[in-house]
Amino acid sequence: MNTDDFSADAALFARLREVWQEADPVPGDLVDRMVAAVAVEDLSREYALLTLVEGSAHAAVRGEADTATLQFSDGETSVLLHVTATEDGARRIDGWVDVPALAIRLVQGAHDWAAEAGEHGRFAFDSIPAGVSQLRIIVRGADGDVHDFRTPRFEV
Amino acid sequence: MTHAGAASVDSVEPARWERAADLFLRWREGDGRAMDDLVRLMTPPLWHIVRSYGLDAALAQDVVQTTWLTLVRRHASIVDPQAVSGWLTMCARREAWRVGKQHRLASPTDVESLEPQLPVHESAEQTAAGEDEKHRLWTAVGNLDDRCRHLLRIVAFEDRPDYARIGEDLAMPVGSIGPTRQRCLAKLRALLEGAGWERNEH
Repeated sequence: MNTDDFSADAALFARLREVWQEADPVPGDLVDRMVAAVAVEDLSREYALLTLVEGSAHAAVRGEADTATLQFSDGETSVLLHVTATEDGARRIDGWVDVPALAIRLVQGAHDWAAEAGEHGRFAFDSIPAGVSQLRIIVRGADGDVHDFRTPRFEV
Repeated sequence: MTHAGAASVDSVEPARWERAADLFLRWREGDGRAMDDLVRLMTPPLWHIVRSYGLDAALAQDVVQTTWLTLVRRHASIVDPQAVSGWLTMCARREAWRVGKQHRLASPTDVESLEPQLPVHESAEQTAAGEDEKHRLWTAVGNLDDRCRHLLRIVAFEDRPDYARIGEDLAMPVGSIGPTRQRCLAKLRALLEGAGWERNEH
């Protein structure tokens, strides 16, 4: 194949890319969701720390009637967690985050659970064993950029 | 036959695969943010490669996500970090093939209905020569057989098509991919010429 053929092919492929990009565009939020999915999976990543502003990191709920509320913030982004005990002795965590969350992960040692933020930033982990936990969360900030945070370790 | 990327022919900027390699190396060296840029760079071509398998949008997004998570989990096993973009597209092709096969077994779908439509613009631009040309190209693409359409879309969004691996993934003999690609391009050109496409392709 000579050079002319090659550049003609390259030009045709460029046009083909254009029509495919137009006819079947990448879904609008796919790139950000992929950035978030990869970020929560990447344990080597250095997350910005949210600090505990309300509640106690050691106030594990003791029994069914017990609840604990924890709030974490960096001054701009806040996460509220409400921990309750379930009938079988596990924990239910209801959370709320005040910015659009792209990915949320609760980590206990080698185990982790994913949650998705619903309307108004609400999310929940249904049945988590009692233990020392950490929340990792990827949000879209007011600036439109993707930011990642982790909380300090806390007991549930 | 050269394997040089179509994207790199006319550009002075580094080719996409080179930028991908650079970002991947930086991430491995501890720059967490380089991964974000790698995801931004490579998600669009992965989307197009995966969609060429006829997967619906939801399944295609799952396959793209699986590809990225596989990279994070198995990055240590990548022998040639320079080839990370090829590793990603290969991983996406294999996952798309696997998911597509599973899905077709579970619920046979009409492949035609999954073919995306070129948006119809009601604006004045539609009459512009560029739009007209685009529609002719799209119609020609639509008249290709599935195999050609699939192969051309994969090759179009690959920087450095690895014909040996693509052949393996598409269950075509390795030596036949280059000729098949040329045959598909020739078919496309014939369809375009039949529709009054101008030869200069610019």
